Amino acid sequence: MNTRVSNNNGSLLASIGRRWVLGFIIIEIVFFSVAARGFMSIDTVQLILFYGTEVFLLGTGELFVIISGGGGIDLSVGFVMGFATVVSAKLMVLFATMGASPLGSVLLGCAATLLIGLIPGLVNGWLVANLRVPPFIATFSMLGITHGISELLLQGSPAKNLPNLAGEIGNGYFAYLTPSGSLSFFSRPEVARGQHVWAIIPNIVVLAFIFIAIFAFVLHRTKFGRHVYAIGGNRDAAIRSGIDVRKSLLKVYVISSLFATIAGLSYTLKYITGKADAGSGMLLDGIAAVVIGGASMSGGSGTVWRSLLGALVIAILETGLRILGLQTFTTYIVVGVILIMAVIIDQLFPNFNR
Amino acid sequence: MPNQQAAARRGFFESAPGRTIARNWALCFLVLMAVVFSFAGPGFFDLVNFQNILHLATGSFLLAAAETFVIITGGIDVSIGFVYGLSSVLTATLMRNLTLAGMAPGEAIVISCLVALLVCLLPGFVNGILVTRFKVPSFIATMGMWGICQGATLYIAGGYLPVMGAPESVSRIGNSFLFYIDPGKSLTFFHKPDYIANESVRQLARVFPSSLLLSIGVLLVLGFLLKYTKFGRHTYAIGGSMDASVRAGINVDRHLVIIYTLSAFVAGIAGVFDVFQTGIGNYTPTGANYELLAVAAVVIGGASLLGGKGGILGTAIGVILIAVLNNGLQIVGISSFYRYIGVGILLTIAVVIDQVFPDLE
Repeated sequence: MNTRVSNNNGSLLASIGRRWVLGFIIIEIVFFSVAARGFMSIDTVQLILFYGTEVFLLGTGELFVIISGGGGIDLSVGFVMGFATVVSAKLMVLFATMGASPLGSVLLGCAATLLIGLIPGLVNGWLVANLRVPPFIATFSMLGITHGISELLLQGSPAKNLPNLAGEIGNGYFAYLTPSGSLSFFSRPEVARGQHVWAIIPNIVVLAFIFIAIFAFVLHRTKFGRHVYAIGGNRDAAIRSGIDVRKSLLKVYVISSLFATIAGLSYTLKYITGKADAGSGMLLDGIAAVVIGGASMSGGSGTVWRSLLGALVIAILETGLRILGLQTFTTYIVVGVILIMAVIIDQLFPNFNR
Repeated sequence: MPNQQAAARRGFFESAPGRTIARNWALCFLVLMAVVFSFAGPGFFDLVNFQNILHLATGSFLLAAAETFVIITGGIDVSIGFVYGLSSVLTATLMRNLTLAGMAPGEAIVISCLVALLVCLLPGFVNGILVTRFKVPSFIATMGMWGICQGATLYIAGGYLPVMGAPESVSRIGNSFLFYIDPGKSLTFFHKPDYIANESVRQLARVFPSSLLLSIGVLLVLGFLLKYTKFGRHTYAIGGSMDASVRAGINVDRHLVIIYTLSAFVAGIAGVFDVFQTGIGNYTPTGANYELLAVAAVVIGGASLLGGKGGILGTAIGVILIAVLNNGLQIVGISSFYRYIGVGILLTIAVVIDQVFPDLE
């Protein structure tokens, strides 16, 4: 199914309906600007991206699975993310005690975790593609398995004593601008007390968006990407036209797992710890991002760009409510309501988002 | 091609005893596991322990029974885990506030339970309307409700702390037994004999926890509903083929609304019971995955996520299987974290067996 079929339905209502996510984001921004003093600022924008990194990543990974159709869903992302925080934290500590330099241990830890993080996806994909286990069941099993292994690795207490460098990377910014006009990358320049330094884009956000851009390219510009849409649109036709469905499905689940792992790495670097339940509440956010972005649960539709908008809706909401000092429960309720609303709007205006 | 593979994998399971084993693999596995734990874990094979397993599994029984109906229709309800928490917190809060307002404990308990159960109809009803009228996929509708119920629960509980202050008699009722036997001296029902002090109540033989009465009662009613009534037959029909059911004149929309409401209601009963069991109102932690464990029990019990298959008896076996796994691992002294892994593997086995033997049932 082509994602850019021209839409002849040009009425005002239709064009609003088609862009309701954008409209909603504007409403959110206006609301929080009025409700929370100081919401409209560069810092807040960066904060939204910083706190929303995991949602952006999980949303993109989940998108691949949902597009692939056939009841495609990955329930394991939250705990694969937790698993990745635990593995990366443990490995960084291990490499540091073995005498590696802080930079070496952080980089090696991240690289090794990225490799290990492929395993849950490989197993999920193998179960779904080769043994025809429904994705819901296969990935729920993986949720349990990764949760169990993380807890076993931790033995009851969160991982700590990571190299300080991890936190510096995770909470650092890509570039710093001093009032005198000098620009420095990665490290905060020494300035006189009281002078303001503009910090530009958190490192984590830069890294996350490099990965997202790569996979947006993969989904929208490569043969594999077209195959994923084809499989989701009509699996039988995809098989008959000679697409290796098994191999593609395997890749889809590996990609989802990879994004969950990157989200885990982002968490480790941000909060300098590894926790089994680091991502336990993230499943709702990840799936909501994709669905708000207009992808159909039956597969074959959805784009990375729209999912990012969906994730942005959630990220603005969470940051805004955090600034307002409202507790988490408001977020849960509002995300739940928007999720349902998104689907209802798609049902009312079936010609959108195609 | 899958058929050839399936045929190649069969071998032994072509024979009559093989097929019986494959069909009842969950039961066989349960027996096998019980035997292993009986030898490996001192204190596993014991009436007290068995009663404990069943007592602690009450919530799982109810949640899984609720989920069975939804899964048979081909849907899924992931909100029940949080309806469970909502009901528990609401009941405890009402009990506390009504008692503080000066109401007699007995009245306060009854009113709180009834109100909580009524409130729990609401999320289910909304789920049903969303799924039928607005054609929202059941997973999304109930996942939205998941968030809403979780938010509402935390709102009522006022944060991440259990709600205390329910009347003391509540947990006494929830943890009572049907029979208290002082060998050779007395037999009392529902409460311990008066001459025994609280501290020495453990010396009595306590048989049949009252909670089991609740589980069995609810499971029997739901099982009867599913197997012997028109309502139950329609449930299977809808799961088998929605189109055919519409053409056969079943009011599918109304039926589904009832099913989702029933599901939330039974989850509500589980939440109310949770207060009786623990004496406090517990919110559902985000990572608890009660609803997914319920789905696991239903699938291990032989249901298919595509709908049209499954039953209360199978679900009960699935729940007991997970409960015995938990308990046995604890007694043997294996870290309880292995249970997550264990449930995951069991679930996959269940579905793979279903794939290899598509013509069972």
